[in-house]
Amino acid sequence: MTRLILRRLLLMVPTLILVSLLIFTLSEILPGDVGRTILGPYATPEQVAALNAELGVDEPIIQRYVAWLGNFVTGDWDTSPITDLEVRPQVMGALGNSLLLAGMALVVIIPLSIFLGVVAGLRKDGLLDRGITISTLSLTVIPEFVSGVILLVIFAVTLQWLPVTALAPEGSNLATRLYYLILPAIPLMFIELGYIARMARVGTVEVLARPYIRTAVLKGLPRRRVIFGHVLRNAMVPTVTVIGGQIGWLIGGLVVVETLFGYPGLGKLLVDAAKTHDVLVLEAGVLVVAVLYMLSNLSADVIVALLDPRVRQRA
Amino acid sequence: MAEPVAAGRTAAEIQSNADAALEQRRQRRYLVHALLRSPTFMIGTSSVVLWILMALFSTWFTQSPFDVNPMDTLQAPSAAHWLGTDDLGRDVLARTLAGARSVLIVAPLATLLALLMGTTIGLITGFYRGITDEVIMRLVDVLLALPVVITSILILSLLGQSVAIVIVVIGVLFTPLVSRTVRSAVLREREREYVMASRLRGERSWFVMAREILPNITAPIIVEGTVRLGYAVFTAATLSFLGFGLQPPSPDWGLTIASERLFVQLAWWTVIFPAIALASLVVGVNLITDGLGRVFSK
Amino acid sequence: MSDVVNEGIGQTGAPQAAAVDVRDLEVTFHRRGRDLPVLRGVSLRIAAGEAYGLVGESGCGKTTLALAVLRYLAANGTVDRGDILVDGRDVSTLSEEELRKWRGEAVAMVYQDPATALSPAMRIGDQVAEVFRFHQGLNKTAAREGARESLRKVALPDPEATLRRYPFELSGGQQQRVVIAMALAANPRLLILDEPTTGLDATVEAEILDLIEELRGRINAAILLITHNLGLVARLCERVGVLYAGRLVEEGPAREIFTDPRHPYTMGLLRCVPRFGMNKSDAALQTIPGTLPALGEALQGCVYSARCPMAQPVCVRREPDLHAWPGDGGPRARAEAEAAPADPAAWSPHHASPVGEGLRHARCYFSAEVPDMPATTPVLSAPGAVEEGRAGDVLEIDTVRRSFRDGRKKLVAVHDVSLNLKRGETFGLVGESGSGKTTLAKCITGLIAADSGTVSFEGKRLKPTAGRRSQAALRAIQMVFQNPDSTLNPAWSTRAILTRAVRKLDGGSGSSVRAKVDELAADVRVEPRFLLQKPMDLSGGQKQRIAIARAFAGDPTLVVCDEPASALDVSVQASILNLLVELQASEAVSYIFISHDLAVVRYLSDRIGVMYLAELIEVGSAEEVFNPPHHPYTEALLSSIPTLDLDDSHERIPLRGSMPSLSDPPSGCRFHTRCHRILGDICVEQEPPLQEAVTGHTYKCHIPPDELLRAQTEVDPLAESIST
Repeated sequence: MTRLILRRLLLMVPTLILVSLLIFTLSEILPGDVGRTILGPYATPEQVAALNAELGVDEPIIQRYVAWLGNFVTGDWDTSPITDLEVRPQVMGALGNSLLLAGMALVVIIPLSIFLGVVAGLRKDGLLDRGITISTLSLTVIPEFVSGVILLVIFAVTLQWLPVTALAPEGSNLATRLYYLILPAIPLMFIELGYIARMARVGTVEVLARPYIRTAVLKGLPRRRVIFGHVLRNAMVPTVTVIGGQIGWLIGGLVVVETLFGYPGLGKLLVDAAKTHDVLVLEAGVLVVAVLYMLSNLSADVIVALLDPRVRQRA
Repeated sequence: MAEPVAAGRTAAEIQSNADAALEQRRQRRYLVHALLRSPTFMIGTSSVVLWILMALFSTWFTQSPFDVNPMDTLQAPSAAHWLGTDDLGRDVLARTLAGARSVLIVAPLATLLALLMGTTIGLITGFYRGITDEVIMRLVDVLLALPVVITSILILSLLGQSVAIVIVVIGVLFTPLVSRTVRSAVLREREREYVMASRLRGERSWFVMAREILPNITAPIIVEGTVRLGYAVFTAATLSFLGFGLQPPSPDWGLTIASERLFVQLAWWTVIFPAIALASLVVGVNLITDGLGRVFSK
Repeated sequence: MSDVVNEGIGQTGAPQAAAVDVRDLEVTFHRRGRDLPVLRGVSLRIAAGEAYGLVGESGCGKTTLALAVLRYLAANGTVDRGDILVDGRDVSTLSEEELRKWRGEAVAMVYQDPATALSPAMRIGDQVAEVFRFHQGLNKTAAREGARESLRKVALPDPEATLRRYPFELSGGQQQRVVIAMALAANPRLLILDEPTTGLDATVEAEILDLIEELRGRINAAILLITHNLGLVARLCERVGVLYAGRLVEEGPAREIFTDPRHPYTMGLLRCVPRFGMNKSDAALQTIPGTLPALGEALQGCVYSARCPMAQPVCVRREPDLHAWPGDGGPRARAEAEAAPADPAAWSPHHASPVGEGLRHARCYFSAEVPDMPATTPVLSAPGAVEEGRAGDVLEIDTVRRSFRDGRKKLVAVHDVSLNLKRGETFGLVGESGSGKTTLAKCITGLIAADSGTVSFEGKRLKPTAGRRSQAALRAIQMVFQNPDSTLNPAWSTRAILTRAVRKLDGGSGSSVRAKVDELAADVRVEPRFLLQKPMDLSGGQKQRIAIARAFAGDPTLVVCDEPASALDVSVQASILNLLVELQASEAVSYIFISHDLAVVRYLSDRIGVMYLAELIEVGSAEEVFNPPHHPYTEALLSSIPTLDLDDSHERIPLRGSMPSLSDPPSGCRFHTRCHRILGDICVEQEPPLQEAVTGHTYKCHIPPDELLRAQTEVDPLAESIST
């Protein structure tokens, strides 16, 4: 088991390096004049030259890349020339906010989706199944800003049950902060609901068709035992895998929701940095996102290995 | 009645084979009928068709989506403007109906690009395997390591924005997922005996890929295509909402919602109607996908 | 085989309720808007403790019957009529809760493919213990103890360790034992076995059958054995029922039915299976013309009349009753049928139950004439020996080796195999799973490149992969595959498939290609109109015929046949085998024929090679290999075949242990871990030499031929040699 985790962590490294290379290329190589990109068309040539010198643009690419990567790993993320803030506290602070929002959404929606999906799968083609499938399907494909805006109009503007902003006043306790996050979390939950429920349903349906379920039923086991002991265990494998992959869309969703509600999370930070061409923040932020995404996939793989002994053996 | 005819066919067998063939044809027609009778599929198709028509013809019968009216800004829905006006006095109904255009150009083209590239890559990696497969799939993993929206933002902000770039970016970023699906389908077909038989005839690799394997994996490709289309609509709208897609004064829905949301407390109609419009299109595409998936799996 | 003959109810001691009593059962499937009747008026009864075999081919409804007994039909299957009583209780009256308890306690089922029957993510011990916990309400420890005991009863080595294992860690045979253990855990009154050994190796199959036989002595369950394999039934069952198109056509004591069948279908089945010892030069296999009726197909009169070589108008006029034999089934029944109004709709309910008292029944107006049933296939004249001038080696394989990588392990699939093949000869290659025969076939044809060693054709060395071989080589060496459903490209029409093959292999263009395609189709007896259809519209047998035509497109010299008939129904197999024999005679091709079915291999082959764990351990003529002296493995393999010959009382030789893994083959002689004639350390330490019993018959063993001959023939001095 630990061998599996170690192997996966080791495999992550080359991919991460390639990803960082991609990010670096996109940010500093392709745009051409990095200094100009950051400062925009209205800066003077001298300012641009100064920034370029500071960024070490003249050095060979490899050296620049290695230096950048090295700095990232050691935690020295420099200061943004645009905002004059240090990059690392900015990114990490924003990350914290995002994790709170994302965490809240996931904690609620993962159990709910799995439950709905399994129920739909058990009652395949029945009324409940069609109802659950159609509704989760519809909710899941609606972009977060669409559902967010509709919910905003209904619950915050018209009914005034929930606050319009997402950021609780300074110094609020956790409960208050979560209260403010209800409205932004719901679009995220809608998105994840569909994917997870669909996968749970598919997993359940597939497992139900397997011969070992027939064996279990013909053994005379009570229905509950068949479902919990045999169906769920095996149906969760594809579901968990999907959840790991869905984190990617969740992060995308965070970007949208935070922008919509003006919440200072990592998503909004990245959008703002992109708009202002704050390259250093962009690079650091996107790399952090990549690491997070990979870790979440790794966690999903670990859980799958716990559930399915055949995976463990192959490692 | 039955006269055995050597060690082969009898009259009865010939009859029963004909019946079998008829039965197969009947079942295939049943599939088409099932599609037509599936409510999800039909609702989805109607919605998409409606929006295609709107994108093409809405300006023929509505007011202009671009006419600025400084006198009548943020008017509530009325007889003159059925869905009200926005912050520049433009007719919301006209803009809402015309907003379908941009999405219906970007999303299908991006999907097509992803399908073409993804199928090619999937075929090559699935068929050849070995080093080619390892290297390419590793690159694919790299592309998949970042959420699509994030990478799009990175590229669009630093490399410039235009409709063409948005299409290319979404198409390229969706290619890895398509190639994965195609690759697994190819891996399955590759082991089949008819592929082995064609190799025993000395068929060239491209022949086996294009004429033997490809015709048998069209079903998963079609399904994947409709799934990608749904995601493409989603992503295109999200990007224009974030400000990385189309620019004003396009009546694009995402753009409209982004710019009008500041006025949401005063004039909810400027935001709600584009939102509902977008929702209906996206749901429509996904109902088609669901309907197709259901019928194919039976 | 037990000689207990069914004595019916009420004759021995206290009357016991029949284990199963099915009356007039009718089951229909509803699929895509159509109603397909699967079982039509089936009545049968199994006495307590009796073993009953239900035989039939695919689509006859035998599995449906089993599922109906368990009340586990799919949602789209309905029981329209009839009663099922198990141990006297009507199954349909059970409530949900009663049904659940009743399952496992009264009836249990074991079916095909044990690997999928076990929950993959749950340990063996937990799965078996479940039965005890939920049926008998035992606590965890007691249940575990019960599980261990169950595993011990099915002769699993080291039950304690097995309890902790997962299903994928066990071999196929071990998995099936676990499934049987689970089924018997709650002491059911009826055990249903649905194709329990299909897909298992011959030796493993024999072990499982031994186990079942032995268990019968200890448990008092009745057994319903569902299978298409007549040999299995002959070995295990007292009574037999033959099912065709959802109707019981013959029933009675197994011994009598198999030695003296009284229904044309039963006779047809018995005739189309090659009896052990038969050879193609003796006679062609008698096929059953026509195809199996499709599910739910409308039939007239007697359900078998469309394919019956003895059918007369009266058979269509009115379906015969299930008459007792000997009894009133003959002229009297025919006269009645003629007198009564025509009733061509088959399966009228009143025809279901047996008519007349007796031990056996047959549903035919002409039962008395069945022994004289005319042959459906002309008996072939023995194909002449290949003219001496043309004789010569067509294929030469020298020390071929091929291994695969599985993770970090290296599996040697083919280890130093050498053999020669003459023109016009059929070389049979036998071996169990993992023996390497398919890999060897792929090396020969070039689908896989051998790691080392050479393959030569007509004296010239062949390139290792097909892609590099010359057109002439590709034309000359072709292959027929096992699975008819995937052997033809589903997206192409049949005609296109053959046209492409002819173009690539035979050359030519336009009309000559067209003509050749038509000629090929005629050679394999496929009507021209089927050429226009896609493979999915063809039956399994037809698809395989097209596949054979495709292989012959370029007038090959050698065709490798990898289990070409294994995936087909018994009655269709015979016609494919006959076709292969016919083509060999007319086209002078050589075959390498791979099969796990020894009787079929014996029938078709001139020479035979036996493979074990990647090595060719014996080569010789068919006659030589199948008679002593022969390799101990061959000896054991032959003894494990369930034979229809009920007088054959040869000793079963059980093999110890299970097949070793290819990544870690045993030292010295690879077979020593399981050999019943192991000499001692020499077998463990030294690789055995190649012994030669007579010229051309070689085997790898430390025991010299004369000693082996003595040892293998002395066991039962009265036993005749196995080749009879």
